[in-house]
Amino acid sequence: MSDTDLQLHPLRALRLFCLLAFSWLAGCAAPFNPDERLTVDVPPRATVAGVPLIQQEAFYCGPTSIAMVMQWSGHDVTQDDIASLAFSPGAGGTYLADMIGSARRKGQLAVEINNFDALLSEIGAGHPVIVFQNLGLGVAPVWHYGVVTGYDLQKDEVYLNSGQLEQMVMPFALFERTWRRGDFWGLVVLPPDDLPVSVSETKVLQAAAALERVEQYRSAETLYETGAARWPGNWLWQFGLGNARYAQGDLRGARQALRQARRIAPDIPEIRNNLAQVESEL
Amino acid sequence: MGFFKLTKTGIAIALSAQLMLSTTAVTMVQAEMLGTDAAISKYAQHSDRSFLMGELQREEVRAQIVALGVDPAEAEARLAALSDAEVASIVTQMENDSAGADIIGTLFTIFIILLVTDILCLTRIFNFTRCVR
Repeated sequence: MSDTDLQLHPLRALRLFCLLAFSWLAGCAAPFNPDERLTVDVPPRATVAGVPLIQQEAFYCGPTSIAMVMQWSGHDVTQDDIASLAFSPGAGGTYLADMIGSARRKGQLAVEINNFDALLSEIGAGHPVIVFQNLGLGVAPVWHYGVVTGYDLQKDEVYLNSGQLEQMVMPFALFERTWRRGDFWGLVVLPPDDLPVSVSETKVLQAAAALERVEQYRSAETLYETGAARWPGNWLWQFGLGNARYAQGDLRGARQALRQARRIAPDIPEIRNNLAQVESEL
Repeated sequence: MGFFKLTKTGIAIALSAQLMLSTTAVTMVQAEMLGTDAAISKYAQHSDRSFLMGELQREEVRAQIVALGVDPAEAEARLAALSDAEVASIVTQMENDSAGADIIGTLFTIFIILLVTDILCLTRIFNFTRCVR
């Protein structure tokens, strides 16, 4: 008995030391200053309504996060549905790449973000954001996915649906530390008729092409249409639209889109090639 | 003579047939839909740092950098140290240099590797990089 105590003692000391070190760090960490940390204007507070709170099963924080966001946008999916596409049992968790991939295989627009500008802009635009956090320490990581559903700069609070039935509320400085240890990785998952506000056009284009790659042609078509309306001067949207329609056997629709692409950019060989191909099959 | 003529005609027919066949084969290879992915890689603007960083993460680029005796983390740190304007000029230069070429292929990989080695003062290929030492 006393042996056990002796063996445990150094461990306890170490843990105490870690806690002390942590609270010292916490005490010294500068409070989150929005003026310093943000380069864009965001509303002082914002909340995304209608994101459900789902109790996660063990290790299913990743699949649960995607399920919460997809239920918010009106899809009937469970954490188990997503887990079958994303979870790695051997790792006891879900890899970042599988988070993106599973959302796309469910026909969603999925793009990464990596800073507070983008995070708060998306929340302000009414889009929930999945974040990757280390809730432990660098030396003893506790990896976790949660969904940011709101924030209030004045109250210094970040609101998360975090795999529990109760909403999690974190001060900005603590949220920042946990998110920084996750390299500020965030994922915006939206239905393909709703565009993220903080992401470059090229990244959205690539996300659309990724939907083609996983044969979600209907979703890809919707996203290309949405992008074409937002960025009408870029022929790539019409080009992708043509390809997505062709893949679904809609030759007339494909021709219409590719002709529109050719009107925008008359000299692109790829457009002429695909248009000729579609016309030869009509 | 008639025999030779016949043979000549035969050869001519055979050759024309072969020519036609091979032309058809080439046309058939070309007659397919070109993918959106490749078009985006070739034409879309990549004017941001994360794009260059993403290239550095690629396994083949990383392996080459390590083979050159460079720590990939250091390469990233050096790239991160460049200003936005410098990154923008690198990307513009890259797009100009690779215009008309298949920039997703080997050429592009080599470009990124040389870019890194230039920044690390191991090479001096591009006039828009400055050696950080």
